[in-house]
Amino acid sequence: MIKKRNKTEIIFDMLKIIQEKGKIKPTHLMYKANLSHVQMKVYLEEMIKNKLIEKRIDKGKSLIFIAKKGNEFCEKFAQVKEFEETFGL
Amino acid sequence: MKIVLTPDWFLGPDVSIEIFSFLVLLAFFIYSIRSYKINKNKNALYLGIGFLIIALAEISTILTKFVLYYDTTFVQVVGQMVVTNHVVRSVDIFYNIGFFMYKLLTLVGLYIIYRIPLKRSAKRDVILGACFVLLSGFSSYLIFQIFHLTSIVLLGLIIYNYSEIYKKNKSKNTCILITAFLILLLSHSIMLLHSRFLYVFAQFSQLISYLILLVLIIKITRTSNDKKKK
Repeated sequence: MIKKRNKTEIIFDMLKIIQEKGKIKPTHLMYKANLSHVQMKVYLEEMIKNKLIEKRIDKGKSLIFIAKKGNEFCEKFAQVKEFEETFGL
Repeated sequence: MKIVLTPDWFLGPDVSIEIFSFLVLLAFFIYSIRSYKINKNKNALYLGIGFLIIALAEISTILTKFVLYYDTTFVQVVGQMVVTNHVVRSVDIFYNIGFFMYKLLTLVGLYIIYRIPLKRSAKRDVILGACFVLLSGFSSYLIFQIFHLTSIVLLGLIIYNYSEIYKKNKSKNTCILITAFLILLLSHSIMLLHSRFLYVFAQFSQLISYLILLVLIIKITRTSNDKKKK
């Protein structure tokens, strides 16, 4: 059985997707991160509030970019995941 | 009276090994707490507490050995029979408490680390296990072999737990962790023989074990950065 992701893991997954793409449309991110519209809205608001991502308008389209703090969070979380995997936590 | 097994030429280096062990344990504690803060994983918190308790055990033995190794100089400077006797007695109590705390805290820390990967069991089992660990800690005050024997059993169980985890995750890091604990087990087994010559080997085994743990923590940090770059 696949383990249910917690809030931090969802945010990490979203950041990784944005990091890989460089920039992404909110709808694409929603599909790629496997989230509902409501969930997506809540997470995006929180990530913007915490300065992990930036929302910019490019040629009339809304795009999401990863912020410096988001990159730092990704790095820290990857280390934490590695640590937890080592100890089977 | 010789209280520790350390040969004279090894006085000092053994404390350095313990200081190094303390720093590595502290690094694991910091990493565990960092993990708990980010991911709110309670097991990470318990692991951190386990490492912290063993780190405190190391501090206890470091402080005790410092007093033990340097008390003779102090006695020579004072040079009065009554005062000297009094000082030696105080030091006596101090090192007895110090070594006792080292043994007790080490066993408690190892027990916590052993319990973490296990599925939640009845509180009664946890209490029973904790009672045995505390009992061993207190009995070690009289018979030192009990401390090393209990440590060997706990380390054996920890190794078994992590080998089960390795079967599932096939992680090289878990393999490194198992190796470190195996060498630590070897160190306690050598200590059990109660030989001054072998004591040095036991201390070196401990050093190798903590060096491996240091490599592991560096590897965790580096691997994550590499993954990100890829």
